[in-house]
Amino acid sequence: MASEPILAVSNVSLRKGQALLLDDVSFVLQPGRFYGLLGPNGAGKSSLLKILYRADKASSGSIKLSGQELATIPRRAYASRVGALVQESVSLSGLSLLEVVRLGLLPRRLDPAEIDTRSRAALDDVGLSHRADDDATHLSGGEQQRLFFAQILALAPDLYLLDEPHNHLDLHFQYRLLDLVRQRGATILASFHDMGLAARYCDEVLLVDHGRIVGQGPIANVLSRERLAETYRVDGAFVDGRLEVRGAV
Amino acid sequence: MEKAKGRTATLFTLAVVTLVAVSLAGVYWGTADLAWDARLKALLRLPDAERHLELIIWEWRLPRVILVALVGAGLALAGVLMQALLRNPLADPYLLGLSSGASAAAAAAIVWLPAAFVATVSLPVLAFAGAMSAFLITLGLSFSPGRGLDRLVLILAGIAVSLFFQSITAFFLHIADPHVTQQALQWLMGSAAGTKWVDLWPLAITVPILIVVAYAFAPMLDAILLGDERATALGIPVNVLRMGFFSAAALLTGLSVAAAGIVGFVGLIVPHMARLLIGAAHKRLIPLSALLGAIVLVVVDLMCRIVLAPKELPLGVLLALLAAPPFVLILRRVRRGV
Repeated sequence: MASEPILAVSNVSLRKGQALLLDDVSFVLQPGRFYGLLGPNGAGKSSLLKILYRADKASSGSIKLSGQELATIPRRAYASRVGALVQESVSLSGLSLLEVVRLGLLPRRLDPAEIDTRSRAALDDVGLSHRADDDATHLSGGEQQRLFFAQILALAPDLYLLDEPHNHLDLHFQYRLLDLVRQRGATILASFHDMGLAARYCDEVLLVDHGRIVGQGPIANVLSRERLAETYRVDGAFVDGRLEVRGAV
Repeated sequence: MEKAKGRTATLFTLAVVTLVAVSLAGVYWGTADLAWDARLKALLRLPDAERHLELIIWEWRLPRVILVALVGAGLALAGVLMQALLRNPLADPYLLGLSSGASAAAAAAIVWLPAAFVATVSLPVLAFAGAMSAFLITLGLSFSPGRGLDRLVLILAGIAVSLFFQSITAFFLHIADPHVTQQALQWLMGSAAGTKWVDLWPLAITVPILIVVAYAFAPMLDAILLGDERATALGIPVNVLRMGFFSAAALLTGLSVAAAGIVGFVGLIVPHMARLLIGAAHKRLIPLSALLGAIVLVVVDLMCRIVLAPKELPLGVLLALLAAPPFVLILRRVRRGV
């Protein structure tokens, strides 16, 4: 018998004016598994993640975290269990790297010493501990992404929501950071455009197209030749666990 | 880390000592030419102090110095809040249309309303009502029930509301008699002259309370610097916080304008000075900005009194003159992305 899902999304829709961004989306996430969220640009991946980290509200449907309806969970309690790596570019002028990571622990009630220990350990995990007290103003895109990764690693939530976690990262840190997150043993829902990374890390993927979930399961099963042509408009197929693409169609 | 803590402690000690020193100077020096030992006796309220000097120092200068210190601290805090909530280093407490709303109300009152009525209701109350009306219009224009406050729309709405009220002010100044226009202009340029102890209460209560409240929310204000979505994901009620602190900034600005007229630039420049000295974390930025705001305004008010003594310069004039060069320097820094 399957254990209780950590997240259960039922019949969620999102409407903005005339546009239907999410259309009757339903799925469940089981604890401890790595889920990939795939789909072409504008399919609705980020819209779905935004609802899950509460930056937006679904127009209809139900979302339950460990059986409890999302709307009834206090913001802070929810944020301490669900951590998000979001795509939002900002200027971090005037805050030190350590200060930024510490903010990631706002949802948790910890004593200052533990906040410090966890934040420094997380900075070490992402290879930025030697710059803990530096101003975050001059970080490159990749370093900023690592810093926000450190925030979420310090928080150590039960559910990681990662919106294109590989963005701006060099090869070393793509693997290093995704390995780190996976080793935590928590549940992960991450959107990917890199099918190599998705194939390597995801136990299962959810394929989104035009605001609907059009497939769920192991990546090689979900991304069949027909589905790749229909959703991604490419001529390709999974061969020995690797996606081979001949070109756009 | 320890070094940073030491630096913070030194900066705060220096700021407090400076504030006490400039406040004493503000009480001690002024337009009236008085013997220093007589002044000292009056300041210390010694038994043999001259009665009229005691009056000048204790009933005129001291309330005035405290008022400008409160206005400076209040405007600096309002500036810190605006810059954090809009994530825009060039935001300013007057961005919400507050100063032009207050100016229009004051100009209308001086030019249009019967003097007896203005004297009864008092000009500061009318100016405050004008500032708050402008703020509510700006807020109303930029708020939508589904999406909350739009930062860009808020800035644009603030500019539009400012221009609207500026033209109302200009209209009243244009139609008035020259001596009435002169009176209105004098008010608009800002001054703390004639402050009495009783005038201090609104700011003396509001400024310390809001400094403490803002300090308590410092980590949440820091989180807003990381972006609205990131802050929301950290469990922070961004829209509620933004509405609450915009209202706080409006209250501080409205009360300041009502008490001392339009005092520009403090809310823009001081938070920057503080940020350059101590970084953007609000736990340090809020108290240091409040201290620096108070220092800057006490010094400028003192200069207003002594530069052309016995004539007084309006607060707004000297402040803008002194603030323009640092403003350009800040712009250069921001443009360089420092």
